[in-house]
Formats: sequence, structure tokens, C-alpha cells
Amino acid sequence: MERAEKVGLGVAGAGHVILFGLLSVGFLSTPNPEKLKQQPIDVSLVKDVGLEATAPQAVEQPAQSIAPETGEPDDAAPPAPAEPAPEPAPAPPQPRPEPKPAPPEPAPKPAPPKPAPPKPAPKPEPKVEPKPKPAPPKPQPAPKPVEKPKPPPKPRPDPAAERAAAQKAAAAAADAAAKRAAAAAEAKAAAAAKAQAAADARAKAAADAKAKAAAAAKARGTGSDSQSTATRPRGGRLGDDFLKGLTSEPSTSRSQTPRAAKIDASALASIVQAIARQIQPCADRQVDPGPGANEIVTTLNLRLNENGTLAATPTVVRQTGVTGENERYAQRVKDLGIAAFKGCSPLKLPPEYYDTPNGGWNNINFKWKLR
Amino acid sequence: MNPFLNTDAATLSPVALFLQADIVVKLVMFGLLAASIWTWAIIFMFWRKLGRTRRATEVFERDFWKADDVDAFYKARAEDDLPSARVFAAGVAEWRRSTQGAVIDRAGTRERLATTMGAAVATEIDKLSDRLNVLATVGSVAPFVGLFGTVWGIMRSFTSIASEQNTSLAVVAPGIAEALFATAIGLFAAIPAVIAYNRFSHGINRIEARLNRFADGFHATLSRQLDRER
Repeated sequence: MERAEKVGLGVAGAGHVILFGLLSVGFLSTPNPEKLKQQPIDVSLVKDVGLEATAPQAVEQPAQSIAPETGEPDDAAPPAPAEPAPEPAPAPPQPRPEPKPAPPEPAPKPAPPKPAPPKPAPKPEPKVEPKPKPAPPKPQPAPKPVEKPKPPPKPRPDPAAERAAAQKAAAAAADAAAKRAAAAAEAKAAAAAKAQAAADARAKAAADAKAKAAAAAKARGTGSDSQSTATRPRGGRLGDDFLKGLTSEPSTSRSQTPRAAKIDASALASIVQAIARQIQPCADRQVDPGPGANEIVTTLNLRLNENGTLAATPTVVRQTGVTGENERYAQRVKDLGIAAFKGCSPLKLPPEYYDTPNGGWNNINFKWKLR
Repeated sequence: MNPFLNTDAATLSPVALFLQADIVVKLVMFGLLAASIWTWAIIFMFWRKLGRTRRATEVFERDFWKADDVDAFYKARAEDDLPSARVFAAGVAEWRRSTQGAVIDRAGTRERLATTMGAAVATEIDKLSDRLNVLATVGSVAPFVGLFGTVWGIMRSFTSIASEQNTSLAVVAPGIAEALFATAIGLFAAIPAVIAYNRFSHGINRIEARLNRFADGFHATLSRQLDRER
């Protein structure tokens, strides 16, 4: 190796070392601005995706029940049966002049006692008979019929009434509600009226209570019959302030089926299928007009009412599949399609899809084809 | 942070790229780097040698044409480390061998002089262009070697994509950058080699032409001298 070569080698090696050293320390490195830096993004792969929401969306509040349910409180029911017993006796004597209005009321509830007011005597009989049942330990079935007309029975039932009143009061106290108090007071008043049995001033209330008591007795008379509980009047659960917060304005509710939020492809397809299914009986009765007619597809526009009837005669949007061979049947196929819808309406379709923000079956196109 | 181990993908750190590369790519890079160093060594050597030869030859030829006595000039300058000096020495030597006898074959002497000095010129040119073939080889082969390294590195990058099941650019980019670095080094070695080869080929051609002109001129001088010999 010549000296020149050695020198050249040295120079070249030194030059390369310098060059690569400069490149290594970033002499020619391109600046990497922030905007070019990639921020890692978390990606999660999921197979299940939420479908379009098609659940009905209740937009209207249901109507409020503002009618109070009047009647004796629930816990007042037990004493009632005991009270009727004394009434029958006093009722007949007094009612004669006044009770005229009263008898008609009890009449509708207890069907058998309907007979004219002069038949107070028979009335008690059915009432008295049931009595023994609720009170089996008391062997008074026989004496009762005898005592029916007599006032004496009163005292006997009185204790029962008192007991019932005591129970009632205890129950009322337990409830400790203002509403209850009012109801209990009412009940007490009724009981007092019954006990006195002769008070004219409370004839109305007595008649009312009597009627209910009669009904209750009737019910009780059937014993464990399911009707006995079903027909029992419910006590009002409303307080004095039950109108608080209510306005006299009518409710905005229309009590309609809530609309679906949206109609999606599957719901639309099922509606079309439902229409096809329901007009099929009419289509089956139709006669094929001729060869090739069943290749014609007629798109009919249906305007439907909410109850499924046709709001208008279906109109033809377009016809496809009409060729030179079957074009003479095209008009006939149109008529048959319209006739099928007329013959098989009303259609029963899901009401929530009648009219949604993105369409519904109130205005729907149906592809009609002869089978 | 050690700048030589800068693994930030955004910076062009050759050492980092080299260290991250595959062993095959490393070998390719190493070979190409050596070729580049050798190429530049030859370039520096040629640059100095050709320049010096050209200048010395000019001086020698000017001195020769000014010299009155060829023998005296021969004694003084024949030992110079110069192609033209050696061609001159070869011509003088042949002249002396051909003219020392009693009978001189003029035509034969002229032919021998021309042949001898042509041979001397060819020898000198061969000597001068000794390392030029290295430049030619590096210039033509280095890009392909670099390409080989690149292809190998990209194959490796795709293998890593397949193994990691991840096609993000962050996975692919470093491997491709390493692979492309092989081609970069190949071009880095090849481009100067090709340019230098063409440049020095031209320079050697000029020196050869100059030597041939000098040899022809000296041959003409000797031929004239031969006519005057008895």
C-alpha cells in the first residue's frame, strides 16, 4: 500500500467518522413538531351494537283519577254485619212514613228484598239467618227468628255493635290518619244512628248505612263466597285536601297507544308482512286474469286510518314486470290489488307504528303481486 | 442521553438505525460502509496522485524541451518518480542499446524506440489506474447491495407485522427506516464512486494522451538524431 493510499484511507475514515457522528447527534435531523406526533387512541372492538330504539315512547301522562271513592273504610266492614241485625226491627216501624226514599236505595243492591216497602218483615229474615254463621258459638239461630219483630234483639246485638265499635275505634286509632278519623267519625255516626234507630234527623245517613249494611249483610250471608269480599265497598282513601294540586283544566291525555320513537327496517318489514298476510284471503279468492299476469308487481300506496280501515282508495304508484305479453292484464291486476285491500280491510296492525317521526303505516307503499 | 443510542424514530441517527437492524442488514451496512471508506480513500489518493503527476509532468516536459543536452538531462532527471521520466528513461535506454553497435539499423531502431516507449506509457497508465477498478465496482454494485439489505429489512418488517398482528405505522416504520438506511449507505458509497471513476478515468486518459504526445515528440527527436548518425 502506497503512502498516498494510506493518507487517503486515513482521510476517508476520518471523514466518515465525522459525518456519521454529526448525523448521530442530530445534525440533519428533521424537527418533529407536536402536531405530527401521534397520540395513541384506545380502540375496543365490539361485536354487538345497539339497534335503533323502537320501543314506544310514552309522551303523555295518563289521566288522573280525581273521582273519590266514597264508602265505608275497609276496616269498618266487620262491624257492619253486626249492625244490620238491630236495624231490621227498627227500620220497619219508622220507615213507613219517612223511609220512602231510603228503601229504594237498598233495593237495587239486595235483589231479593226489592219487594215493596211493606215487606220489611221478610227482609230481616234473610239477614237474621246469616247472622248465626259469622257467630257460630252463639246458638241463637232459633231464637232469632222469633225475636225478629221484637225490639229486644237490639240489646243483644248492641253489645256486638259495641264490640265492633270498639274494634273499629281501635283500628281507627291504629291507623292514626286524618282521613281515617273522618271515616271513623262517619262510621261512628252511622253506628249511633243505628243504635238509636229512631232519630229522624239522621234518617238519611241511617238509610245510607242501612243500605250498605244490608249489602254487607248480604255479602256476609254468603259466607266465604268470593263475592263477599269483591263487592265490599272500599273506604275512601282521600283526605280533606284530596283536591290539593289539581286544577280544573282537562287532562291533556288522549289515552292513545304511545307512539314508537322510530320505525326501523325490521318493524316496517313485519308490517308489510302483516298486510300481506291479512289480504291473502281476499287475494286467494281472485282469479288469475291470464298467463304472465302474476309477474306484474304493482306498488300500491295505502292511506290507512288508525283503526286499520282505508282512508282512501289505494292508488297505484307504479307497475313493474309489465311485458308485451302481459301488458293487457296490467289494468286488471291493478283493479284486483285495490279490490283485495278493499275486501280485507280493516287491517290489524301494531298501533305504535301508525305514525312515527320517520314514517308509519298510515301512509305505506305495498308491492302487490298475484300469487 | 447518549446521542449515539438515540432511538427516537424522528431523528436520523445512523448508529441507532445500525444497531436496531437485522444481522444481515448489519453485514450489508458494514460492507457498504467499508466500501464507502475505501472509495473515498481511493478518491483522495487519486486526487493527490493525479494532480501531482500532472503538475510534475508539465514541469518535466517543459524542462526537457528546454534542455540542450539530452544526456545531461537524463543524468539529472531520469530517476524522477514520474511517468514521463520513466518513458524518457526507457527511450534513452533503448536508444543507447540500439546505437552502441557499429552498424545502426535505423528503421529497426525507430521501431524498437516506438515499441519501447509505447510499452512504457502503457505500463505507467496501468500503474496510475491501478485502483480505478475498485471505484467502478463500488459504483455499480453498491446500490444493489444496499437494495438487498433494504429488501431483507422490509421482509423482516412484514414478518413482524404478521407476528404482532398489528399494522400500525409505529410497528412498520422503524423496520422500514432501518432497511432503507441500507440503500442510503449503498447510494452514499456508489454516487461518489461513480463520479470519481468518471472524473479520474478522464484524468488518466489525459495523462495517457500527454505521455503519448511526449513519447511521440521524443521519438521524433531521437529519429532525427538517428538520421544524423553517420
